[in-house]
Amino acid sequence: MHSKSKVIWIDGVSCYGCSHSFYNYPEIKELLEKIELIYHPLLPSNEFKFQRCDILIIEGAIKNNFLRLDFDLIELISKLINLSKKIILIGTCSVYGGIFGEGVLFNKENKGKFFKYKDKIISIPGCPPHPEWIAYAIEMILNKKRLILDKENRPKEIFSYTSHMGCVRNEYFEWKIDAKNFGEKEGCLFYEQGCQGPYTHSSCNKILWNEVNSKPRAGTPCFGCTEKTFPKKNLFKTETFMGIPANIPLGVSKRAYLTLAGVAKSLKNERLERKLIDDSE
Amino acid sequence: MIVNKKIITKIEGEATLKLYKKNEIIEFAQIEFWQYRGIEEFLKNRHYLDACVINPRVCGICGHSHLIATAKAIEDALNIEITEKAKILREITLGLEIIQNHIKWFYLTLYPTIKKIDFFKAFEFSKEIAKIIAIIAGQFPHNSYAIPGGVTCDLTNLDILKIKNSLKKMFDKYQNVIDIKGDSKDLENLFNGISKELGKSINKFLVLGDNLYFKSNGDVEFVKEEQSISFNKNVLYKDEFVEVGPLARNLNNKLIKVIYNSYKDSIYTRIFARIYEVNLIFKYLLKIIDEININEKSYIKPKNCSGTGIGIVEAPRGSLIHKVEIENEKIKNYEIIVPTQFNLSNGTKNKPSAAQASLMNENEKFADFIFKCFDICAICVSH
Repeated sequence: MHSKSKVIWIDGVSCYGCSHSFYNYPEIKELLEKIELIYHPLLPSNEFKFQRCDILIIEGAIKNNFLRLDFDLIELISKLINLSKKIILIGTCSVYGGIFGEGVLFNKENKGKFFKYKDKIISIPGCPPHPEWIAYAIEMILNKKRLILDKENRPKEIFSYTSHMGCVRNEYFEWKIDAKNFGEKEGCLFYEQGCQGPYTHSSCNKILWNEVNSKPRAGTPCFGCTEKTFPKKNLFKTETFMGIPANIPLGVSKRAYLTLAGVAKSLKNERLERKLIDDSE
Repeated sequence: MIVNKKIITKIEGEATLKLYKKNEIIEFAQIEFWQYRGIEEFLKNRHYLDACVINPRVCGICGHSHLIATAKAIEDALNIEITEKAKILREITLGLEIIQNHIKWFYLTLYPTIKKIDFFKAFEFSKEIAKIIAIIAGQFPHNSYAIPGGVTCDLTNLDILKIKNSLKKMFDKYQNVIDIKGDSKDLENLFNGISKELGKSINKFLVLGDNLYFKSNGDVEFVKEEQSISFNKNVLYKDEFVEVGPLARNLNNKLIKVIYNSYKDSIYTRIFARIYEVNLIFKYLLKIIDEININEKSYIKPKNCSGTGIGIVEAPRGSLIHKVEIENEKIKNYEIIVPTQFNLSNGTKNKPSAAQASLMNENEKFADFIFKCFDICAICVSH
């Protein structure tokens, strides 16, 4: 019988949101039974000790002069990286730094302290990452399947989508109808409320959160939490340039976007100009 | 006297517990948190709405309480009233966060200190509870649907129906953990061979929040922070250490009162109050969900742009305080006091905090159990 893959899940400077997100994975029990979880900061496991492992999962950012398990955090991570075959960075903190410090692979836009280990790293950013993304990365390694990664080591099967894809407010985006206010079903949050969906790599609106919803569906803008820029300033306000959003959808030239927006705006969609649900006929 | 220093893990974050003992009996205990993440500094000069995204990231398990406290603090600062509908929705999501927290704590954190248990039980609840939060708030953990002025969602009756059905289902299922009469096989099994008198504490209770069915018994004006031996500051109320949390805010419940009268503030009473509170919250949520008027506005745009305010909520672990100073829509100052600071302050042998007192004069083999019965959130402390 071949032995189970050994997994160490270590925490840097974090809020444990990645762990709590993972707990919502519907098949968590089946997945954890497939591996030998040697250490996890919250789940029952043995006391921490340095040892070889097949998969190292890192949650949280790195930072100088920060103690973890009585070790200097950066020395701890460095030792563990050298003892592991594959590394999954989960969460924006761990990939890029996020709110709390530097990432393992990147420090925001720049190369991070452990960039030289890029070949054995898989990036699963998100604040938090979706539980299915974490499980997917683990399963792909367990099953020895090839992952197609982008240049920031994010699996394309997840991160080639934008969080805009699948948003229920897409019709409003098509016809350039902005939300007049928060707290309403109608309107797209891209024009005023700061939604970063059209240029954020993630599949939030494709696979949905907790199997039922997403932030934009609940009227909250996408904050681009899977990106190296997270959290930018003025998260609830769209930065504009000459009256149009300064950041436009991925893959479109500014000119093409302006032309399309102008045409869509001039051809009114009367149905969408009204409230979706009222007593009118 | 022997001093034993131990790093406590499997709490949200890490702490050091220093036990001063004679033979096996703990004479005194000190608790140290040594981490700092700098959230309050991070908020400075940002637009106040950014706090609704940053602050939930204080904590992965109780971040929603931080969100609601943030919204309330800003609303207090800018003189904002919100609709009944928005209030009820916030009560539901906050109540649900408390529920998932307690169930995870019971099976994942507390139980393993004494006995082996199928901890996946916790997830059978928590992932369904998270799903109900997500219907309202978009996702869990880390949503930002409560903003100063109300909530971002605009639910339909289909959503309300789904929420109600799920609430009922989860409430029924929870009867297997502890039923409404207070019977719990898992709790009795946990205390099998352990005295229910274990870990009595200071017997002083404080409730500052008035969300859900909780009633405040104090005034935030008397809450003071002071330097301590560790990174975190001590928190006192009228110069005394107090206990906050589920036991404090449920002492007016008949059933909990009966247990309190028998065992005082032992860890049995504390644990009972915490897991029984889940039933009381479920009942309350099932009542208020019928009071939602879907036609009310979800959000009213704030008018003012400067002011100072305080937001208090009863979070999973007790009273959580956020203070904000806003100038021209920008955050000038932000301050957070978390429940764990109240319960785990570092007092002296003569004037111990709640957690210290409950450890004193007990056998060290129970140290982990007693310590964790306070449901420590080190990560909140190191905001």
